Amino acid sequence: MENVITTQTRVIGALVLRETRTAFGDTQLGYLWAIVNPALSTLVLVLIFSSIGRSPAFGTSFALFFASGILPFQTYSKLSSSLMTAVSSSKGLLSYPLVKETDILVSKYILITLTYLMIIIVFFTMIIWGDGSPLPVRPEQCAAAFIFLTLLGFGAGTTNAVLFRLWPTWKQLESIISRPLFFLSGIFYVPSDFPTQIVRLLAWNPVLHGIEWFREGYYGNYDSIVLDKSYLLTCIVILLLVGLFGERLYRKKSI
Amino acid sequence: MIEFLDVSKTYRLKGVRKNILNGLTTRFPKGKNIGILGHNGAGKSTLMRLIAGAELPDSGRIKRNVKVSWPLGFGGGFAGKMTGIENVRFVARMYGEDTERMVEFVEDFSELGPSMTLPIQTYSSGMKARLAFGVSMAINFNCYLIDEITAVGDARFKRKCDKVFETKLKHANIIMISHSEATIKKLCDSACLLHDGELTMYDSVDEALAQHRKNQLK
Repeated sequence: MENVITTQTRVIGALVLRETRTAFGDTQLGYLWAIVNPALSTLVLVLIFSSIGRSPAFGTSFALFFASGILPFQTYSKLSSSLMTAVSSSKGLLSYPLVKETDILVSKYILITLTYLMIIIVFFTMIIWGDGSPLPVRPEQCAAAFIFLTLLGFGAGTTNAVLFRLWPTWKQLESIISRPLFFLSGIFYVPSDFPTQIVRLLAWNPVLHGIEWFREGYYGNYDSIVLDKSYLLTCIVILLLVGLFGERLYRKKSI
Repeated sequence: MIEFLDVSKTYRLKGVRKNILNGLTTRFPKGKNIGILGHNGAGKSTLMRLIAGAELPDSGRIKRNVKVSWPLGFGGGFAGKMTGIENVRFVARMYGEDTERMVEFVEDFSELGPSMTLPIQTYSSGMKARLAFGVSMAINFNCYLIDEITAVGDARFKRKCDKVFETKLKHANIIMISHSEATIKKLCDSACLLHDGELTMYDSVDEALAQHRKNQLK
């Protein structure tokens, strides 16, 4: 019998490559669309906001401020929603005994994380080059914030997958519940500017902490009064436990 | 050899409970080709997925110490948007096979010609079955699980399948589901019968078939 880790690594590798083909296989640019599409739609938002003369809530570049909020946010929300249906939409794959539910989840996580990493690198290069914005002051903090947000997305996604499995209506509800997150995550404002009561409410949203962390890393003098890394970590651990424990309970029980 | 230890499996779907296995303990011995008999809906395909490990039992353990294939005869694992070649490569990568060797084998075996470069969603069901059969024959398993796949394609392709099968069976075994008595008789040297949650092993295929016929008359 082969080493389990070698086998699963191989299976996950095969799944990642497969996913790049199934998601955009029938279009001309193929997987490039996965990078181009969110990058362009973010660019459009930036252009719209900056053309109506909005000045950034922090720093001098609106594009930089907006991108440092929306791109980490999209990484989270993409993971959270895609992982929810990842297993149910590729049930055929489970007929291969080698493929476990966790392999499908992990391969999707890897692919989305790498894709958004590419988007972020491309986008920030464009901004730094285009409007002379500064380089990140503490890139390692940005990287840590990004990784934690992907883990939060992984936890939320796997938890969503369990709920969706038990109760298919969850998919509709989740999209309604998570929509306000766009406004509650500090994407186009600085939470520290708000009155304490509002800040206290906003602080319940773990995504906001991830974004604040990312901005602190990028700007250096951002000095968030909300940021609580241990709260973010707690949310990640709870969601991962619920998601992975639920997956363990219901894996391959019925196809 | 594949061993079942006190394996139970029940389906619950929209309030309907269906017992497939009640605490089954049995072994599928190495070196035997085994046919699985049972009426429609008895759970033969589920049993096969349990043997393969594509599905988990509610309780009990299933041990396998041989390399078992996935249940052949479905195209369920194929991605419709990927081409034939891409699907072959995916399976090859997953099983750690040489991708180009495998593509070559499948191209040659399934005779799909230029269609191999088209997305699977454009294939007819016959073409998909040819591809599925080719892919599974390209990998050397110790035990092939076959779920009603022998009825693939035209007479010429069937002969081709039989021939590959003969070579494979020199080094490997099969466990198969078929409603065709002739197929079971030709390929299997023992059989088991799944009926009302109980699986009975028979050393002789004829005996199993006789009991199967009797069950169906009830």
